[in-house]
Amino acid sequence: MGGAAVRVQGLWKRFGQQVAVAGVDLELPAGRFIGLVGPNGAGKTTTLSMVTGLLRPDQGTVEVVGHDVWRDPVEVKARIGVLPEGLRLFDRLSGRELLAYTGRLRGLPGAEVDKRATQLLDVLDLAGAQHKLVVDYSTGMRKKIGLAAALLHNPEVLFLDEPFEGVDPVSAQTIRGVLERYTASGATVVFSSHVMELVESLCDWVAVMAAGRIRAHGPLAEVRGEAPSLQHAFLELVGANARDTGSALDWLGGGTR
Amino acid sequence: MSTAAETGTGTGTERASAAGPSITPVVVRLKLSLLRNGLRQSAGRRAAYVASAALVLLFAALQLIGLIALRGNAHAASVTVLLVAVLALGWAVMPLFFPSGDETLDPTRLVMLPLRPRPLVRALLVASLVGIGPLFSLCMLIGSVIAVAHGAAAYAVSVVAVPLGLLVCLALARAVAAANIRLLTSRKGRDLAVLSGLVIAVGAQLVNFGAQRLGSAGLGQLDPAADVLSWVPPASVVGAVDAVSEGSYGVGAARLALSALALAGLLSLWSRTLTRLMVSPDSSTLPDAEPARDRTRSARLGRLLPPGRTGTIMERSLRYVWRDPKTKAAWVTSLAIGLLVPVFNALQGTGSIYFACFAAGMLGIQMYNQFGQDTSAFWMVAMTISSPRDAYVELRGRALAMLVITLPYAALVTVLTTAMLGDWPALPEVLGLSFALLGAMLATGAWSSARFPYSIPQQGYKNVAPGQAGLAWLSIFGGMVAAALLCVPVIALTIWLNVTANGDDWTWLLLPLGTAYGTGITLLGLRLAASRTATRLPEILSAVSKG
Repeated sequence: MGGAAVRVQGLWKRFGQQVAVAGVDLELPAGRFIGLVGPNGAGKTTTLSMVTGLLRPDQGTVEVVGHDVWRDPVEVKARIGVLPEGLRLFDRLSGRELLAYTGRLRGLPGAEVDKRATQLLDVLDLAGAQHKLVVDYSTGMRKKIGLAAALLHNPEVLFLDEPFEGVDPVSAQTIRGVLERYTASGATVVFSSHVMELVESLCDWVAVMAAGRIRAHGPLAEVRGEAPSLQHAFLELVGANARDTGSALDWLGGGTR
Repeated sequence: MSTAAETGTGTGTERASAAGPSITPVVVRLKLSLLRNGLRQSAGRRAAYVASAALVLLFAALQLIGLIALRGNAHAASVTVLLVAVLALGWAVMPLFFPSGDETLDPTRLVMLPLRPRPLVRALLVASLVGIGPLFSLCMLIGSVIAVAHGAAAYAVSVVAVPLGLLVCLALARAVAAANIRLLTSRKGRDLAVLSGLVIAVGAQLVNFGAQRLGSAGLGQLDPAADVLSWVPPASVVGAVDAVSEGSYGVGAARLALSALALAGLLSLWSRTLTRLMVSPDSSTLPDAEPARDRTRSARLGRLLPPGRTGTIMERSLRYVWRDPKTKAAWVTSLAIGLLVPVFNALQGTGSIYFACFAAGMLGIQMYNQFGQDTSAFWMVAMTISSPRDAYVELRGRALAMLVITLPYAALVTVLTTAMLGDWPALPEVLGLSFALLGAMLATGAWSSARFPYSIPQQGYKNVAPGQAGLAWLSIFGGMVAAALLCVPVIALTIWLNVTANGDDWTWLLLPLGTAYGTGITLLGLRLAASRTATRLPEILSAVSKG
C-alpha cells in the first residue's frame, strides 16, 4: 500500500460555455476511505465520470492503480467498480438476474458469480427482493443492488457517486457496514457526497471541490484544521458563511397568524 | 396538529355548504391555467395542440354534417346509437391509456386540501367539460339527436338528452380513472400506456374492417345490436329521442331515466373511490404483492443458450424483448407488419412472393440503435468493454439473440406466403434473398448503432429524444438504403437467373449463396461496428442518456 490509487493531472471538461471541471490535479492514496465533497454543481459527478472512463475529458490524464484510463482500459476496467449517479441500471432484470448478468459480462465463471451474488444479496438485505424487477425497487434498494454489482468482481478501487442520496437510514447503515469491511481489507473507496457529517464519520481522507476545482485535499484532520467540524471548514473553504436572514422573515413563528 | 386540521376542514365545508364561494370556478380556472401554461412551455407543443384541435374540430364538423344528412334514413337510429356507444367506450378506455392527460383531475394532487367529496366531484366534473374531447363529444351528440329527432316533444327531450349523454361519458371516464388510479400510477400502468399506440392501431384496423363489411352488406346489419344498445346508457339518450319521435313516450322516458340513473351511479362510485383514495396510501408506499418469479423458467432459458459472455448477452436481450415496454412494442409492430404485408398482398391476389422479404427487412430494423435501447444503463456495458474484441462479442450476442426470433419467423412468413401463392419452386430463392437481406440489415444495424446512437425516451410515445430526430432518420433510413445496396449482388443474381434461359433450374443456388452472403456480411458489419464501439464508448453513453 502507500502508492496512489488514482492520479489525476490537469483534468478539464467544458459543456458548451460552461466549464464543469477546470484543471483538477489530484492524487488519491490507496487503501483509504476517500470522500469527494462539494456543493451541487461543483463538478464531482463529472470528475468521477472522467476518472472511471464514462466521460472523455477535454484535457488531462487519469491513472488508476498505475494504468492510464484511456490508453489501457483493459487493466483499469478489471480493477475498478463503479456506482454512478443518475444513470440507470438494466432495471427490467430482477436483482439476482442483474448480478448474474454483470458478473458473467465481467468474465467471472457462472458458479462463482451465483455464489457471490447470493452472499451479497444476503449481506445487503436484498434476498427477499431478489426475484423482483429492479424497476420496482426503492431508491435504497437500487443503490444497494448497484453496490453489489460494483463489488461482484472484487475491484481494487471502488467509485461511488452519491451512494447515500435518498437512502433510508437502515439501508445506509447496511451500505456503510459493507464499505467499512471492504476498506479494512486494504481496498480503496472513493465516494462523492454533499453531506458533511457523513463524510466526516466515514472518511479518513477528503478532497473538497467547488466550481470545478479542488479547494483542499488531504487527511480529514488536516483539511478540518482548526474548525469545529468539517461542515464549518467546508463553508469557510467555498466562501459560503452562514448568511443572517435578519428581519426578512420576522412574521414567521411566534403564534400570531 | 390534528385539531388544527379538523377545524380547517370544518370551516372549509361550512363555507362551501353555506352557498358561499364554491370551489367549482376555482377548479375550472385551475384547469384553464394548466392548459395555458402547458401550451406556453414550447412552440412545438402549442403547434401540436392547435393542429390537433383544428383536426378534431374539422372531423367534428364533418360528422355533424354527415349525421344531419343521415336524417330521415331508415337506419339513422341504429347508426347514431352505435356511434354514441362507441364514443362512450372511447371515454371509458381513454384514461387507461392517457393517464396523465388531465392534471386537475388527478385527485391525489388535491389530497392536502380540506375538501369534501361532493363539492369536489361537482367541481371536477364541470372542469372536465373543458377541452377538445368534450367539445367533440358534444358535436357528436348534437348531430345524433338531429338525425333522429322528429317533432316538438323529441326536440324537448333532446335538450335534456344531449347534456345528460355528455355528463355520463365524462363521469364514466373519471370513475374508470379513479378506480384504476393505483394501476395507472404504478409501473405496470405506465408500461400499459406505452403499448396503447399498438392497441389503437389494431383498433383502427378492426374499425376499418367493420366499415368495409358494412359497406358491402348494408346498414341493416346494425339493427339488432342497436336494439340492445339503445337501452344502454349513454347510448340510451339517443334511444330516448328516437322513441319519443316515434310516439313511444313511455319507452323514451325509461331510456332517459336509465341514463340519469347511470349518471347518479357513476358519480357516487367516483365519489366513493375519491374518498377512499384520499385516505389510503398510494402505490409507491405499498409493498408489491407480486409473487416471486419462479427461478426455474429463467434457468431453463439460460441452459439453452451458449455459456459465457455470449449467452449472458443473448439472455438479457431476449428478456428485454418481453419485459421492456418500448422494446416489446417495437418488436410486436415489426412482427405484425412483417407478417401482414406479404400475407395481405397474397390474399388480395396482387401479391408477389418477393414481398416475403418484407419480414426480414422489418425485423432487421430491431438491430438499429442497439445501445439506445439500453438507455443510460449502457454504462454497465461500457464498463465491461475494454477492447474491440469485447465489443464484438457484445454486438454478436445481440445479433444472435435477434436471430433466435427473426430467422425462424422470416422463414415461416416466406413459407406461408409461398403456400398462399402456390409458387413452391420460388421458395429457395426467396428464402435466400430474405436471409441475405437480414444479414445486410444486421450489418448496417450494428454499424449505425455504433455510429449514430440516439436516446429512446422511456416515458410517453416518442421513440426519439428531442434534437436527435435527424440522427434517428439518418440511422434507420440511411441504414435501410445501405442494406438494400449491399444486397445488390444477390438481387442481381436473382434477376439474371430468372431472365436467362434455363436459369430457373439454378435458382435453388440462391438459398445457400444468399445465406452465406448474409452471414459473411453480418460478420463483417459486426467487426467494423465493434472497433468503432470500443473507441467511442463515452460518446455513445452520452448520446443514449438524453431520454
